Amino acid sequence: MSTLDGPTVSTAAPARALVARNLRRVVRLPSAFFPALLMPVFQAIAFSGAFAAAIHLAGIRNSLDWFVPLAALQGAGFGAMSIGFATIIDIQSGFLDRLRMAPMPRRALVAGPLAAAVLRAVFPVVLVTAVGLIGGMNVPGGWLGLAVLGVAALGVGFVAAGWGLGLAYRMRSMAAAPLMQFAIFTAIFLSASQMPLALMSGWAKPIARVNPVTNILRMARQGFLGRVTWAHTWPGLLALTGLGLVTTLWARRGLSSVDRI
Amino acid sequence: MIRETLAFARRSLIGRLRQPESLAPSFVFPLFFAALGVSSFGKAATRLPGFPADSYLAFSAAGAVIQGVLFGATAAASDLATDIEGGFWERMVASPVTRSSIVVGRLASSFVVGAVQAAVFLAVFMAFGVRVHGGIGGFVGVVVGGGLIGLAVAGLFAGFAIRSGSSEAVQGAFPLVFVLLFLSSAFFPRQYMSGWYRHVADVNPTSHVVEGLRQFVTRPLGTQQFATAWGIPAGVAVVSIGFALRSLHRRLAAP
Repeated sequence: MSTLDGPTVSTAAPARALVARNLRRVVRLPSAFFPALLMPVFQAIAFSGAFAAAIHLAGIRNSLDWFVPLAALQGAGFGAMSIGFATIIDIQSGFLDRLRMAPMPRRALVAGPLAAAVLRAVFPVVLVTAVGLIGGMNVPGGWLGLAVLGVAALGVGFVAAGWGLGLAYRMRSMAAAPLMQFAIFTAIFLSASQMPLALMSGWAKPIARVNPVTNILRMARQGFLGRVTWAHTWPGLLALTGLGLVTTLWARRGLSSVDRI
Repeated sequence: MIRETLAFARRSLIGRLRQPESLAPSFVFPLFFAALGVSSFGKAATRLPGFPADSYLAFSAAGAVIQGVLFGATAAASDLATDIEGGFWERMVASPVTRSSIVVGRLASSFVVGAVQAAVFLAVFMAFGVRVHGGIGGFVGVVVGGGLIGLAVAGLFAGFAIRSGSSEAVQGAFPLVFVLLFLSSAFFPRQYMSGWYRHVADVNPTSHVVEGLRQFVTRPLGTQQFATAWGIPAGVAVVSIGFALRSLHRRLAAP
């Protein structure tokens, strides 16, 4: 029996192998992973310390309650997006070509890295939340509040990974890296990331009002500012679902563009 | 030696102008952050009693200057490391010039770039309505202060670049700049900070330099501004240039 006549390979098995390979990279190349791990912690501390007085004006007594969820989302986004950098290296080294020639469904080449990226995003989210809790962050929403933060952060990680992967497949060089970071950076910061909408003014306010990240942040923060409610959850879930679908499609089409070369 | 230093400074300036992609982030990001800060904290600033400026826009001018100059000076040191990696450094060292002029020339260009950045930033802020209470003297104070900060930081990072010979190592030291910047009063007044964060900001020299620069904009001219905005970076520059030159001699003496 020739290779072409061989048994059909499912998506799950190669995707699992790609997840394992990507996670091994964390151990083998910690220098590429640690900045994404430590930056959100530093950001949570720095923003909470610097802007505490401004946040108090919004009736929020502990600035960690406001900035830790932001740092968790940002850490997840940047941590997961780095899958794009890894993919570019795979493209340049020719490893992706070997994967493309392997008898497995194309969707595994998207599903595997996306799943790995989401798993990588868990580390900064857990670390920054733990630091926040040690620092005295309040969680009136309890375990549900923490769970909702987890869903929001990993959802942002999934979206960021899809964006990074799609860009990596299209540009196929490290020139894509600043573009990957810039888009995530501006999407997060042009939302109600630093101050509540009611206290914002000027040019960024109307952008923040329509930016879906504002809804995701509202969802992520609710358990730290009060109780978890469906009214604060569904807009965030809707935004994550929409962005997730768009970026997954972007990544899948990006892979198709590699096939067309 | 002066002629050689000027020639190297000129070369470094031309080199940086030819790479707008490496210079652009040090202009774009500070202005973006300032614009975002005005939109985010502008309203809050008007409600905080005793806010030390007419507006958050005026307050953030000094933060933008120091941020841009720090980013730019790091990029300059990274270029020096690239020269070492690419072998051009060896050709310069082998040429009949005073060796310290190779480093001093590059540092002089960092002073010029820092001063130009400060002037451009302040001009942009003035175009958006910021009034410099220190007048022309205040404007000059910020510009020279920007140049001195550029010189001080470039000296430090040039030392790293010469010792390591790796642009990656220089970039790796960049988080230090980030930490110094964020654990200071560059983005919000110290008087509203509390706890350990306030203590760190109090002892962080970046806080005092940025406050000196800020006072050129927000207050009439006085000696205090010069002491902090010029004196501290000038002192650090003496030490960091010494460090860079020592690193140069160490590298040249290495077998």
